[in-house]
Amino acid sequence: MSQTIEVLDPVAPARADTAPTARAAARSLRGATVGIIDNSKPNFSLLADDLERLLIEQQGVARVLRHRKSSASIGADAQVLAAIASESALVISGSGD
Amino acid sequence: MSAASHGALGLTLCSSAFAGLGRAQLKALGQPGLPILEIEHPFGGRSRDEVRAIAHTLIAQIAVAASTAAAGASAAGTSATSTPAAGGVEAVRAIALPSDAQAAHIECVRRRWSDGLPVIAPTPERVEAMIAARWPRDQLIATLAPGFGEATIERIATNAVLAGCEPAHLPVLVAAVEAVADPAFNLQAVQSTTNPVTTWLIVHGPVARALGVNSGANCLGQGNLANATLGRALRLILQNIGRAWPGEMDRATHGQPGKFVFCCGEVEIDHPWQPLHVERGFALADSAVTVIGASGTLNMNTHTKDADQLLDCIAHSMAFPGSNDYHYCGEPWLILSPEHAAVLAGAGLNRQQVQQQLWSRSMMTAGEFTHADFLRTASMRAAEFPQLTPQPRVPPSRTPADIGIVVAGGPGTHSVHVPTFGETRAVSRRVGVPA
Repeated sequence: MSQTIEVLDPVAPARADTAPTARAAARSLRGATVGIIDNSKPNFSLLADDLERLLIEQQGVARVLRHRKSSASIGADAQVLAAIASESALVISGSGD
Repeated sequence: MSAASHGALGLTLCSSAFAGLGRAQLKALGQPGLPILEIEHPFGGRSRDEVRAIAHTLIAQIAVAASTAAAGASAAGTSATSTPAAGGVEAVRAIALPSDAQAAHIECVRRRWSDGLPVIAPTPERVEAMIAARWPRDQLIATLAPGFGEATIERIATNAVLAGCEPAHLPVLVAAVEAVADPAFNLQAVQSTTNPVTTWLIVHGPVARALGVNSGANCLGQGNLANATLGRALRLILQNIGRAWPGEMDRATHGQPGKFVFCCGEVEIDHPWQPLHVERGFALADSAVTVIGASGTLNMNTHTKDADQLLDCIAHSMAFPGSNDYHYCGEPWLILSPEHAAVLAGAGLNRQQVQQQLWSRSMMTAGEFTHADFLRTASMRAAEFPQLTPQPRVPPSRTPADIGIVVAGGPGTHSVHVPTFGETRAVSRRVGVPA
């Protein structure tokens, strides 16, 4: 009697790395536009305020585009995200508490 | 991820307890190399000065990550192991399990296929019998968050076998998968939240009767094949195809027993009003499912035969300060026992009047929430309550119609409050088999 039986794997594999890759970021952020997606969790807007100021003052970022989600558990509006991402070299988002 | 599709580099700031979720999510989205910077958890309660200090620490890390991450973002490789089928859908692979049932059970737990309980080995023959040539086996029903695994007929059937389902159950599961994938259900959040959310599956109409789905005594408990295996199969589908494993992308702080099984039918004969699926737009003779993001159950045991007092008892039971329904403007549910439903209907109240009364009577004063939850409510419900103060009365849902009511259960003076995740909406789908 066989010691094993053949079964089908119930687990879906992780997606292959077929997603578009990010273009190479500038060696520095000087002169770049940076997006910040506020996940609306407590304190993130304050952190975003501080990061915006420091990105401009210390990293020479030209401008920061901000968007605050209506809810932490619902994705950012696709059109808003597309608009920010298309103009930005870097988009910062938050996760967790 | 979306940033990458527009050519920007995406960088995520994660509180440390959720960094694992973040990395798993990036891997699931095919971008394992995108940078994650960790902030010590918890972040939400930090002082203003602490937040400033964290920002100063992060800024240099952001600059370094931005200049180095892009080069590695596409080089991190993939964990995909299946061979895509001709139509582009990932084929299900074969694996060897021990033939001994106990050893196979332990191996399935080790592989994280099961819920901890023994499963039925999904041999090719059993999966074939489950599908019974009713659908193409590689037909894609939905991709399931947060892992975005492909829920093909074959993979759904494999999990159905695991759970102990019979072939007649598969159409219900196909409909349930369609339902949970609806954006309104918000599966991404339901699967990955710290809240104890599970997917409550209600089966309606002729298919419920044909399968023997229990809507009577102990309908939320053990002992019924259909309730147990359908609910279990849906959980295994969400875990194995959605790739939401506890402690990984499933971040539930406690979880709840309903994450094993939460499935029942509804009383349809002698229903005092219209059955739920008719209320939601289906014909009485239609078979359907409804999925609800349920956060638990609360027994409401009252012997009153007075409708006014019954409404008060239920409404006050619904109102608790830690309720997501209040904080996020949710969709709270009630399972009324036939006896309680008869008291209300006997007083001349229809479903809409019951909903209206419960909505009005269950309002909480905003000041009853903790300060942190008051702030959350003020933010999340700003559209209804601009400039929220502690004084206004806040209902658990936007409208009375958003209070869901199901009639189920056996004899007894009990009804059940089912609070929800808050940021999810019930979704219903027709159950059918292709012609």
